[in-house]
Amino acid sequence: MFPRPIQDASPRAQLLYKIALPVSLIIWLLPMIAIVATAGRSLSDLNYGNYWGVPTEWAFIENFSSVFGSSSIGNYLLNSVIITIPSIIGALFLSTLAGAGLALYKFRGRFVILALFIAGNFVPFQILMIPVRQLTLDLGIYDTYWGVILFQIAFQTGFCTFFMRNFIADLPFELVEAARAEGVSEWKILIHVIVPLVRPALAALAVLQFTFIWNDFFWPLILIQSDELRPITLGLTTLKGQYISSFNLLAAGSLIAALPPVMMFFAMQRHFIAGLTLGASKG
Amino acid sequence: MAERPSPNQTVFAPWTDPDAVPLIRIEGVTKRFGDFTAIDNIDLNIYRREFFALLGPSGCGKTTLMRMLAGFETPTEGRISIDEQDMAGVAPNRRAVNMMFQSYALFPHLSVWENIAFGLRRDGADKDKIAARVEEMLKLVQLERFARRKPHQISGGQRQRVALARSLAKAPKLLLLDEPLGALDKKLRQDTQFELMDIQEKTGTTFVIVTHDQEEAMTVASRVAVMDNGRIMQVATPAEIYEQPNSVYVADFIGDVNLIEGRVSSIDEGRATLDWAEGQHPITGQASGSLSKGGRATFAVRPEKLYISREEPTERTNRVWGKILDIGYLGNLSTYHVETTGGQVIKCEMINVSRIDRRDYTWDDEVWLSWSDTAGLVLPE
Repeated sequence: MFPRPIQDASPRAQLLYKIALPVSLIIWLLPMIAIVATAGRSLSDLNYGNYWGVPTEWAFIENFSSVFGSSSIGNYLLNSVIITIPSIIGALFLSTLAGAGLALYKFRGRFVILALFIAGNFVPFQILMIPVRQLTLDLGIYDTYWGVILFQIAFQTGFCTFFMRNFIADLPFELVEAARAEGVSEWKILIHVIVPLVRPALAALAVLQFTFIWNDFFWPLILIQSDELRPITLGLTTLKGQYISSFNLLAAGSLIAALPPVMMFFAMQRHFIAGLTLGASKG
Repeated sequence: MAERPSPNQTVFAPWTDPDAVPLIRIEGVTKRFGDFTAIDNIDLNIYRREFFALLGPSGCGKTTLMRMLAGFETPTEGRISIDEQDMAGVAPNRRAVNMMFQSYALFPHLSVWENIAFGLRRDGADKDKIAARVEEMLKLVQLERFARRKPHQISGGQRQRVALARSLAKAPKLLLLDEPLGALDKKLRQDTQFELMDIQEKTGTTFVIVTHDQEEAMTVASRVAVMDNGRIMQVATPAEIYEQPNSVYVADFIGDVNLIEGRVSSIDEGRATLDWAEGQHPITGQASGSLSKGGRATFAVRPEKLYISREEPTERTNRVWGKILDIGYLGNLSTYHVETTGGQVIKCEMINVSRIDRRDYTWDDEVWLSWSDTAGLVLPE
């Protein structure tokens, strides 16, 4: 069996393991710990350089209430939701269609199309920054929700299509043929056979996409200008303060911003894991 | 008790009626995959209410032929029509044809009931009508108690019946069955064969079954087409296929057969005589196909047509002597492998009629095998 259970190792190795494990966990979590600790400090502590020590006074409540009080973080969160949810729906919808098309039909050039979808993921989107901004200006969707949504969908659909195509191609093709023999049209086969069977994959993809789009800083930065439309990732910068950097408020705001993807993950955890291992345990 | 068929009852044999209109016409159909010819210029008619079997070894093209009937493949050449309608360009979902897959292809996310209702529901049929039809189908395959279960919660035999019920629910004109019993164990398969025949008869649907199991084809089918390398070798009733094979291939493929090669010494009134070995009597059987005097031919005779004896049965037309090489005791019958001149091994099956039998033959015994002049066939090379 691999990996060998630690119980089978020598007592020395076990001891080493027991020490190394928490240490590596702490190193791993250090950024998280730093943010949580900073979110609980007062600004004066930070000004005196007390970054890692015990805070002179715990300021969690003050910091969080001032985040909510001094900035429109509620509005930013709402903007994030308004951008993220339609983007996920759009990307999943289009990629399910494209994935099914590429997986179920044998047509000339389907491998070229799939390769394009995959290759598209390797294009660094920074080089697309100026053309995309120009395009949104020309389309009249610069500085709107729709501008960001449209380009989130456009940039996520490539990966999602690749993901969905592989899941659909893994389904027994006889299910599709059986449905065709039943006299069912292709659209109804997609809705009543394919989609219910790839539901775990859709759930997994939804969680991934939620994290990607929610956490994305780049496209909103390029495509949004007005403060009222900013999602939380952009909105955090307003917490910086005009003359001095209030890192304690920034840390508190970051924690708030990070919560929804974490919650989303735990809510969908069951589907997520099922989706990632789907097909791995056939039998 | 079933009624005894009256002597003047007409036998179901539409293929003998020149006026009968076939449900399926396959005319000069060829299918190529690249350089490979899967189906080679096939002509075949299948009639309404027939239970037709496509039989052959794997790779003979039987599944390809069936998939062309379903519409999953299109013929490279030739024409297929179903119910007088040309099927060229007709999508699988627009044909009054359904198919049952070897893997059953049940929808795993739907219950037994929903699986059977699948096609009806997608057509937007009336709810009560769907329910009534599904109940009818469940009753037909005796699965009323399992309606709410998912496919993974029932046994293989039950899944097979669900697949059958689903494929019959929309009352197709033609049902294609691809190795429908292949996944069942032997005992269940035999029971299910009779069930399948029973259901076919009750619904009156035309069945075309693909199988590599000759016993299964013989049991269920009204006619069998034996295929090899994309061609149809013979189309006939099971009895004809077994007793009147038109080629060595068919004789060899169906059941057990002894094949003895020799040279034709005389042809007379449908009888051909074969010289086959030095020191052995010539053997005579029914002449089949184009034989020529002095040409090479193969004598085919089934092991159960042979009789084994210690003394030479001088009154029998065909007799061959040899030495017992092997004895197989199968319970209901015993098989003797007898080695004769030139190392030719001939199999003979004897039914063990009495329970306490004197099995007086043993290894290395010198014995005679004999059979009548109608028992065997002389087939051209």
